[in-house]
Amino acid sequence: MGAGTPSRLTSQAATQEDVVITHEDVDRAHDRVRVSAARAQRGALSKFRLLWLLVGPGILVMLGENDGPSMISYAATGARFGIGFFIPFVILTFCMAIVVQEMTMRLGSATHRGHAELIFVRFGPFWGWFSMIDLGIGNFLTLITEFIAIRAGLGFFGVPPWAAVGSALVFLCLAVMMHRYWTWERTLLAIAAFNLVFVLVALFTHPNWHSVGHALITWKPLPGGLSQDTLIIVLADIGATVTPWMLFFQQSATVDKGLTRKDIHLGRFDTAVGAALAAIAAVATIIATAPLFAHHMTAENFQGAEFAQALQPLIGRFGAALFALGIVEAGMVASVTISISSAYAFGEVARRPHSLNLPVTQGKAFYSVLFLCAATAGAIVLIPGLPLVYVVLLVNVVAVLAMPPALVFLFMLANDREVMGDLVSPRWANILATGVVVFLTLAGLLFGISVIAPNAFAFLSGK
Amino acid sequence: MPSKDKGHSAITSADQELVLSSLEPEQLTGLKKHFIPRRHMKGLEKFVMWSLRIYLLFMMTVVGYQVWIAAH
Repeated sequence: MGAGTPSRLTSQAATQEDVVITHEDVDRAHDRVRVSAARAQRGALSKFRLLWLLVGPGILVMLGENDGPSMISYAATGARFGIGFFIPFVILTFCMAIVVQEMTMRLGSATHRGHAELIFVRFGPFWGWFSMIDLGIGNFLTLITEFIAIRAGLGFFGVPPWAAVGSALVFLCLAVMMHRYWTWERTLLAIAAFNLVFVLVALFTHPNWHSVGHALITWKPLPGGLSQDTLIIVLADIGATVTPWMLFFQQSATVDKGLTRKDIHLGRFDTAVGAALAAIAAVATIIATAPLFAHHMTAENFQGAEFAQALQPLIGRFGAALFALGIVEAGMVASVTISISSAYAFGEVARRPHSLNLPVTQGKAFYSVLFLCAATAGAIVLIPGLPLVYVVLLVNVVAVLAMPPALVFLFMLANDREVMGDLVSPRWANILATGVVVFLTLAGLLFGISVIAPNAFAFLSGK
Repeated sequence: MPSKDKGHSAITSADQELVLSSLEPEQLTGLKKHFIPRRHMKGLEKFVMWSLRIYLLFMMTVVGYQVWIAAH
């Protein structure tokens, strides 16, 4: 794959002469000047500066996907299965995430258009609306679970639900009111780095590294074998790593940041580093809750932040508080990235200004969608008696089920020579992407069989 | 020729030069509304997309059933 031959879209746009320059353009131009200056200089320091300037969307999307329900899924995995099969399995899911997210970064850098916009203009509104409905429902449900996580995490410290939701909304407002993509990205990256607090919590449990090494090599043990419970955890862990909002978010963020064909190499690095950091945090969470293995804790213990409370006798009040704070951070960061993902998609489809470089006066629709989604999701969490557990369970499963259609759109766009020019996916990337689609579809079907005909499933698994 | 952002008067000619020299044409907000040719799906592509759509609807029903069972 080269970076030289422009796509047909580029040559069409280049013929236009009447251009309205906006402040969004000016802000992005300032960012690009810094990138060009760093690229022009030689030496290790300049290369590091270039890397620093270009990383962001990949790390954010991966750490953003280590959200509230994801961390709870990993915690439930550790508590239910201990150290074993799921440690290498979670790493495998992050490898799948790299394959998928690399395509969105490449699409964004090559076309300078968001994912929703490309689907609409390339395949028409019929398929575009299907895609948007999937995204809208998935994003909204996920957003609800982020507020559930924030409520649960802050609940550990005695914060009442209304105050937890209110503080999350205030945080969201402060995060996006910087009117500058660069500032927003750096601030959120700093906060998202707190996701690695789960590594510290894992170390507090004094893990058996021999068991971890053995699990990584052998993919064993898998207590209880293949059962419906195992499948739900499998789906939840996949849904904790690859979800539709990630596709839309990273492509739009790549466009908003202003990455170009020249930046694809470092965009890949950004995506891989993000996946590595997120995988470390995910595995650490499994290891951290592995001592609870004998207590048979599941996702049903989510509502009252019992994971942190259950860990307290093992790792002390400080360690448990760190765990609860990690859950809060995961929910906070994801509530921002998922809201922005919805607002980007809305702006792209409705042809309204959509950028974090926009002041509120120029991006009223963008910011309105963002806040409306978040405020509604936050309000739902406060409804008394709402079965929050089912919502959490539902969301990760729905995310996995919605992935194959979203991935096929991505696959077709990444192989569309009219759009991508010579940056179409190479054969190896297509083989890997096809493998991911088949794997996710089969996992979903297996789940369906386990629900509809549990006896047949028991027979298939040899019980 | 480039014109000013009508909603904001603070964009100077230096800004315009900076934008035009450092951004690719397609990165300009004003050029993003230009036409992108529609691609019509072929037979196999339509088959795959409809199959996945049916798969999704079916699986959502399964999830709904699972939630109903769990709730009862």
